[in-house]
Amino acid sequence: MTALRLAGALAAAAACLSAGAFAQVGAQAPQAQVKMRAKADVACRPTSTALHYDCTIRLTNARTGEPLGGVTLTVGADMPSMPMMHSVRPVAAPPEPESGSYRARLALEMHGDWALQLNLSGPLRDRVVAIVRFEPGRAESRPGG
Amino acid sequence: MFEVSDIVATYGKIEALKGVSLKVESGKITCLLGPNGAGKTTLMMTIAGILQPRRGAIRLDGMDLAGLSPARIVSRGVALVPENRLVFPQMSVRENLLAGAYQRRDRAGIDSDIDRMYARFPRLKERREQMAGTLSGGEQQMLAVARALMSRPRLLLMDEPSLGLAPLIVAEIFEIIAELNRDGTTIFLVEQNAHMALKVAHQFFLMEQGRITFSGTPGQLAEDEVIQRAYLGSRRAAG
Amino acid sequence: MDDYLVGVLSNIGIVSFIALSAWLLLLTGEISFGQQAFFAIGAYAAGIATALWGWPLGAALGWSAAIAGGAAVLVGVPTLRLHGLYFAIATLGFAEMVRLLFEQFHYRVMIDGELVGPNGSDGFRGIRYIFENDVGSLQFLALIYLLLAAALAGFMLLERSRLGVAFRMIGEDDTLAALNGLAVARLKILAAGLAGALAGLGGGLYAHLTTYVEPRVFDVMLGVHSLAYGLIGGLGTALGPLLGVVIDIGLLESVRAFAGYRMIVFGGLVAVLLIVRPRGLLDEALVHRIGRLFVRAPPAGP
Ligand SMILES: Nc1ncnc2c1ncn2[C@@H]1O[C@H](COP(=O)(O)OP(=O)(O)OP(=O)(O)O)[C@@H](O)[C@H]1O
Ligand SMILES: [Mg+2]
Repeated sequence: MTALRLAGALAAAAACLSAGAFAQVGAQAPQAQVKMRAKADVACRPTSTALHYDCTIRLTNARTGEPLGGVTLTVGADMPSMPMMHSVRPVAAPPEPESGSYRARLALEMHGDWALQLNLSGPLRDRVVAIVRFEPGRAESRPGG
Repeated sequence: MFEVSDIVATYGKIEALKGVSLKVESGKITCLLGPNGAGKTTLMMTIAGILQPRRGAIRLDGMDLAGLSPARIVSRGVALVPENRLVFPQMSVRENLLAGAYQRRDRAGIDSDIDRMYARFPRLKERREQMAGTLSGGEQQMLAVARALMSRPRLLLMDEPSLGLAPLIVAEIFEIIAELNRDGTTIFLVEQNAHMALKVAHQFFLMEQGRITFSGTPGQLAEDEVIQRAYLGSRRAAG
Repeated sequence: MDDYLVGVLSNIGIVSFIALSAWLLLLTGEISFGQQAFFAIGAYAAGIATALWGWPLGAALGWSAAIAGGAAVLVGVPTLRLHGLYFAIATLGFAEMVRLLFEQFHYRVMIDGELVGPNGSDGFRGIRYIFENDVGSLQFLALIYLLLAAALAGFMLLERSRLGVAFRMIGEDDTLAALNGLAVARLKILAAGLAGALAGLGGGLYAHLTTYVEPRVFDVMLGVHSLAYGLIGGLGTALGPLLGVVIDIGLLESVRAFAGYRMIVFGGLVAVLLIVRPRGLLDEALVHRIGRLFVRAPPAGP
């Protein structure tokens, strides 16, 4: 009985603490305006070095379909089957001449499915995740990624 | 008065207790003797609520204990010093004593009881911050008794307190048992050491193959017969 | 702060929740290979709440903890009757079942011209609360650690409380605990519920950090790691599992010296530690000794 009461008190204390934290986050987050959102197409090619891949990323405005130029893009990766481990240190993906196109060279630890994290900053802050299967000599993006 | 009547307990199809009845008088030391596998531990575990009896009644001063959870049975004033699993090894001596007082709320009373335990068991006091698992066998047995007493039981059950201990320590443990009883605790004790048991007991029972086969006072049966039946069972004794 | 560092610290914080969850069960003597199921339930619940229902983050996280805790209680009632290996296998089976269910779970809603929501094995993307609401990555990191600090504070209180002592007693010997008057079954279910809620909260944070979850994320790998963290770090204090996480993600992962061999190094480390220090680096004896340095006990009388 007291055990349950004590647990209740603990839960309440935790709730109060977290409520405080959220109040702060919430205060800075007025009801979201309809914000711009990015969409990405990723195509990767193997290079002459094993486990190194060249990826071309095409960013578009998800709503209008227009190319998204001028953002700062970094690409990180981890393996969905081992979340938060084996993650690849994000690399910068500089823009290509073609607007909305960026290129990154990834050095992976092993073959298999990777979740590429495309982190956009600058005029648009966003994160898009693309699932790509990397195999020796080829790489294939999952549709919808 | 503590009373068990017609208790049947089973492990699967094996009937370990086949209708056990006995009485333990308040303020006395009652002893249960019997050969290995007679069902003594099973009876203790059933009284404590760890095992549920198939049939029968367990009464302490008129309260029915059969079917209650172990926690409820502790709150009715019964404490068991079990066989072989004596202490919480990764907890200190002091924490083990506090564990025995788990259901109590009177801080001051608990503290003074811990002091009383330290006075009665000076070796526990010396080792109060030691992990219980690193105590010697005899010390662990003493800690187990002290821990059981921390719940201030009206009935203290002990399952083979002399198990695996050197004769000197056994004598010490029985000295403590007699002392506890002089202070008013009712004790119901399982023993293999018939000699020691008959020395302290006011009343004793023999159990063989899940049945009570004798009840009386220590004077009523010659010690060597008790010993023979307690160690070997009556079939051999008769044959 | 460097983005990579923020990322690693965020991961350490989030994994700590599920490590604490597995550790809490270890404390009560149960080995669970299935805490990733509650992490998954929390992740999907929180993601659905913000992305599909438009809830604020705080409410979504509370909901993720509540629903995962509730699920843990429901699973705990039948499974906690099992002991040892049987319980471990039951948790593993349950977690795999949950993962397979999420592979079949489709719940998509048209939001802002796009279908959003869990889409079976293709995952659940677009949990974009922190981007929609301009929560910076540092701010989110602060939120993770604030909640983690609250959880740790809870554990510190717990360790000093009757309930904490009760969990330890059950963990060491549940029969002996019952003989001391503990309502063992109820306490175990309570522990399972608290552990589920912790994992669920971690899952809720995870979904919002990555913006994307899929069933594969909640594979048994995650459960084994969370369990290993407590075993490495030690059973003596709630800081144990955190130490385990820091050793694994903070050192092995971030130093990168072992690259693809990291898992092997990690497995070896666990094996060696289990032999050398079976109850972990910060085990009860060590914690007790350290505690005694701070609490001056009255000298033993003459
Ligand atoms: N968990 C169990 N499952 C099946 N049978 C059991 C179990 N525990 C005890 N038994 C059986 O029940 C009978 C009684 O056992 P119990 O432990 O009560 O004997 P005991 O009188 O305490 O013996 P000892 O003096 O050796 O401690 C034995 O035949 C034993 O094999
Ligand atoms: Mg026995």
